[in-house]
Amino acid sequence: MNTTVMKTKAERAIPEQFEAALPGLPGGAKAQDARRAAMAHFIDLGLPHRRIEEWKYTDLRARLQEAFVPAQKPPVTVSPEALASALGPFAAIACARLVFVDGRCDTSLSSLDGLVGAKVSSLADGSGDDHLAAVVGSAANAVAALNVAFATDGAVVNVPASVVLDHPLMVVFLSTAAVPSTVTTRCFLNVGEGASATVLEVHAQIGASAVQSNAAAELIICDRATVDHVKVVLGAANGVHLSNWDVRVGANALYRAAQLTPSAGLARNEIRINLEGRDSKFDFAGVVLGRNSDHIDTTMEIRHLAPGCQSRELFKTVIDDRARAVFQGKVYVAQAAQQTDGKQMAQALMLSPDAEFDSKPELEIYADDVACGHGSTCAEIDPALIFYCQSRGIPEAQARALLIESFVGDAIEKIDNPSIRRAMSDVALGWLAAKSA
Amino acid sequence: MLEIKNLHVKIAAEDKPILLGLDLVVPTGEVHAIMGPNGSGKSTLAYVLAGRRDYEVTQGDILWNGESILGMAPDERAAAGVFLAFQYPMEIPGVAGLTFLRTAVNAVAKRRGNKELTTPEFLKLVKAKGAELNIDIDMLKRPVNVGFSGGEKKRSEILQMALLQPSLCVLDETDSGLDIDALKVVSDGVNALRSKDRAMVVITHYQRLLNHIVPDKVHVLAHGRIQKTGGKELALELEKSGYADFKSLAA
Repeated sequence: MNTTVMKTKAERAIPEQFEAALPGLPGGAKAQDARRAAMAHFIDLGLPHRRIEEWKYTDLRARLQEAFVPAQKPPVTVSPEALASALGPFAAIACARLVFVDGRCDTSLSSLDGLVGAKVSSLADGSGDDHLAAVVGSAANAVAALNVAFATDGAVVNVPASVVLDHPLMVVFLSTAAVPSTVTTRCFLNVGEGASATVLEVHAQIGASAVQSNAAAELIICDRATVDHVKVVLGAANGVHLSNWDVRVGANALYRAAQLTPSAGLARNEIRINLEGRDSKFDFAGVVLGRNSDHIDTTMEIRHLAPGCQSRELFKTVIDDRARAVFQGKVYVAQAAQQTDGKQMAQALMLSPDAEFDSKPELEIYADDVACGHGSTCAEIDPALIFYCQSRGIPEAQARALLIESFVGDAIEKIDNPSIRRAMSDVALGWLAAKSA
Repeated sequence: MLEIKNLHVKIAAEDKPILLGLDLVVPTGEVHAIMGPNGSGKSTLAYVLAGRRDYEVTQGDILWNGESILGMAPDERAAAGVFLAFQYPMEIPGVAGLTFLRTAVNAVAKRRGNKELTTPEFLKLVKAKGAELNIDIDMLKRPVNVGFSGGEKKRSEILQMALLQPSLCVLDETDSGLDIDALKVVSDGVNALRSKDRAMVVITHYQRLLNHIVPDKVHVLAHGRIQKTGGKELALELEKSGYADFKSLAA
């Protein structure tokens, strides 16, 4: 049976917005073709909805009532003070910085000092064309297709073989639009053999206008490279944050990733990791903090494709009020990936009886000599622990705060860079100290 | 002075009475041991003194220095000087021992109207008290009790007690899970806190602990009441005869 699905208002608006935006989007003919192909792919797919298994808990079609227009070039420049204020605890981190304002690189706010040896350019100067063209074939999901179609800019970073970056690179995506807007960015990071880099991705905003952001990051981590990759979404309750991470990891490499998403409105963070070379390690720490009517979805797939790799995921959720958090974590082990060691743990702390945590761990294993495990827990704060704290003189409210802090701290502690770790912790503490609306 | 009067306690969630009219007086400056068979209500008594919510006092009262503590939350009791050393100290993953201790010490200082300690003052105090209990600072940088051995957990309890300077110490089977050497360290720590300004209630199954912490009085708790009270020699008698006499009371 062939049924025609009614297009929603957003689904009808998006192709029109694309035709209007296309002439202004960066890239040569190759990029234009890629964008058109991606839009055609999106039109076929439509927005993902709950009947598609991977989107069962996050019905984007129903939730995305309106697709905001692509953000315009910012009319006024952002002051360094305004940027610092938007970055909060992240402003103080000593690092090289690339700042994208409303989806466009702002060189006056950026500084690449300390990033000796890396080649940094941006999607807008055409250096990402080949890369855009290469993505389309694999742009299976609608959000990724929209990203290719609309991406205005993003960091294109190449760390040559054996180069060890002394400072982290912070890539900031700042939204300033006065009207509800969509910001689409795409980053590409290639870390050569034996090289080492720390990349911090911060999404922030100035002003109260609703922002829909679609942020993609693609990483290629070559043999023996070490990459630390941290992302934080300092979003607003009226925001929508859609993200795709696609990471390929070579042999004997180390990839440590962390994400912190405090109250971002509606968020969907997809993470796909392909462990392609043998004996590599992947370590992930995720923290989701939700209150009011936040809906925060983290969907990850770790594919063990080569022997001897190790993967670890620790995912912590704290939800209050009517907030909902979704964790879908799949570990796939190909037949060739013998001696795989995979462990996953997803834990949620429920602060309200109306909060909801949907957890779907999955293992798909084709190799016969592996050690894989996963666990998922969902609980209130243990009253016995509160009593223990109280019996030492700590008042109940303070005891609860201490215990929530420690629950989240478990994951944040895994972040290797101390100043990034501290900033992440400060953001989490700030969230915990704030009240529900 | 601790005065427990006709205390009746049941588990809050069920209709299961545990303490059935317990009377006990422990004057300040004295150490009293509570002994008794399994299931006699010893741990219940410890938890009720500390204010655990799972237990409900249905009758009677607990007075500390003349005032009832039944209406007080556990943290208010801690500020008033009550300290329970747990039989099974809780593990708190993610909270560093030092953070926990400092939060507790300062919360209590604030309630007692004392000045909160600065970081250097606090560290100096912890180092000094810790050294007496063979607890070094590195151990306290780890999350509270996580991965600690039985002995380490008990030493950590006594360190908390030493830091919070309570006036009523309740030790619930502090000897359980300890080898002979650890028992000595823990007992020395407790003895160091013996003072004319402090009352102690030491709950134990075995006489062994009482060789180290010599009590002024020994009470036998069985069937929800104090059945017998005597001097420290009562513990030795019990060691020989067991609790059979008290068990048969029920029949």
